Amino acid sequence: MTGLLTRLNPLVLLAIGLTAALGSPAVRTLPIALAAVTTYVVFVVLTVPSWRYPALCLAVVLLPMASVAWSTWLLGGRDAEVAAVAGLRTFVLAWPGAVAAGYIDVARLGDYLAQSLRVPGRFAAALSAALQRVAGAWRTWHDLERSRRARALPRRPWSMAFALLVHTIRDATRTSIAMDARGFASAGRRTWAEPATWTRSDVSVLVTAVLLALLPTALHLISH
Amino acid sequence: MNSALTSTTRYRTIDLVTIAMLGVAFGVIFWGWGKLYDVIDLGAAVGFKPAAALLAGMWLIAGVVGGLVVRRPGAALATELIAALVSMIVLGGTSWGASVLLSGLVQGLGAELVFAVFLYRRYDLPTAMLSGALAAVFAAFYEWKYYFVDWDLTWRLAHLGFFTVSGLLIAGAGGWLLVRSLARAGALDSFPARRS
Repeated sequence: MTGLLTRLNPLVLLAIGLTAALGSPAVRTLPIALAAVTTYVVFVVLTVPSWRYPALCLAVVLLPMASVAWSTWLLGGRDAEVAAVAGLRTFVLAWPGAVAAGYIDVARLGDYLAQSLRVPGRFAAALSAALQRVAGAWRTWHDLERSRRARALPRRPWSMAFALLVHTIRDATRTSIAMDARGFASAGRRTWAEPATWTRSDVSVLVTAVLLALLPTALHLISH
Repeated sequence: MNSALTSTTRYRTIDLVTIAMLGVAFGVIFWGWGKLYDVIDLGAAVGFKPAAALLAGMWLIAGVVGGLVVRRPGAALATELIAALVSMIVLGGTSWGASVLLSGLVQGLGAELVFAVFLYRRYDLPTAMLSGALAAVFAAFYEWKYYFVDWDLTWRLAHLGFFTVSGLLIAGAGGWLLVRSLARAGALDSFPARRS
């Protein structure tokens, strides 16, 4: 447990989950499933700072694993091995990404999207501004809950969600006026909070994530 | 490019910020819905799993609403994708890890395609329902490949049927009604959708 995941840039953390998900359909037999699961467990154990968060993610991922495995058994020929492989494939699809996502620094995501992925500047800046409002969205939800309770109004999720959306769109209108007042729309040259740097660790973990995702396909080709 | 076309494709700041912030709001809603849906889904798996897709249209509503509100090329796709991203990174994320980004991409593409076919000029109820339905068809094919690859074809087709109905009604009609309610609440005064 080196804590390496806490030092990686957000794009690499996203790539860990995306590559695992993209590689998961190649998990089609029990030996390949066990190999893929083992390598991801080793990779995660080596890179996380503590076992607690991956264990929590595992507890959460067990629900879709059970759902997919059981339904595959029930609706896919009642073959226990096929069902087990489906469950383990879901683990590969979901667990590495769930763990890596927990270490993403949302505040840095916009910098990397704009500078490394060349996402258009205006959109990256708008996304960054919106991502900073995630905490605000939670606060709004709790405010709505408190005010509805105080007024003895029903706290139905649907009406709360509607009120959150109204608040969000009005907030977006205010924010965009403030941004345009500061020259956001007409800016010729844009600067970013911090440079999007790629360390040696970022590159090596990205390469490792790609190799791990290709492992099931490689094993499948070798076994045939 | 003539000025009429420019006015429907050129993004104003408010369009960009609204897409991003709608994505965040729907991401938070998806996160909460996901916790409930996991339990419903597991319950359905014990009984008749394809029927769980009847409620899956909820996952598609961000794209339809984003497209109906902002009315620019890419709005539906971007709103759905941002909602997926946010649901993945807030408070411990989702039980499906980063695969929700793939789902968001596929669902957003389905919703976007319908608006594109109508050249971003039709935003009525049938268009919204078609948008939700195509998003559901795309999402069902994605789930066949990534989740239910071993199901017998009959059950996969049942899943597709349930998902499409859900997309048509929850995401399509539900999304259209939601946008109409938002317009009546005065939240869309800066958008063409205010006339909904």
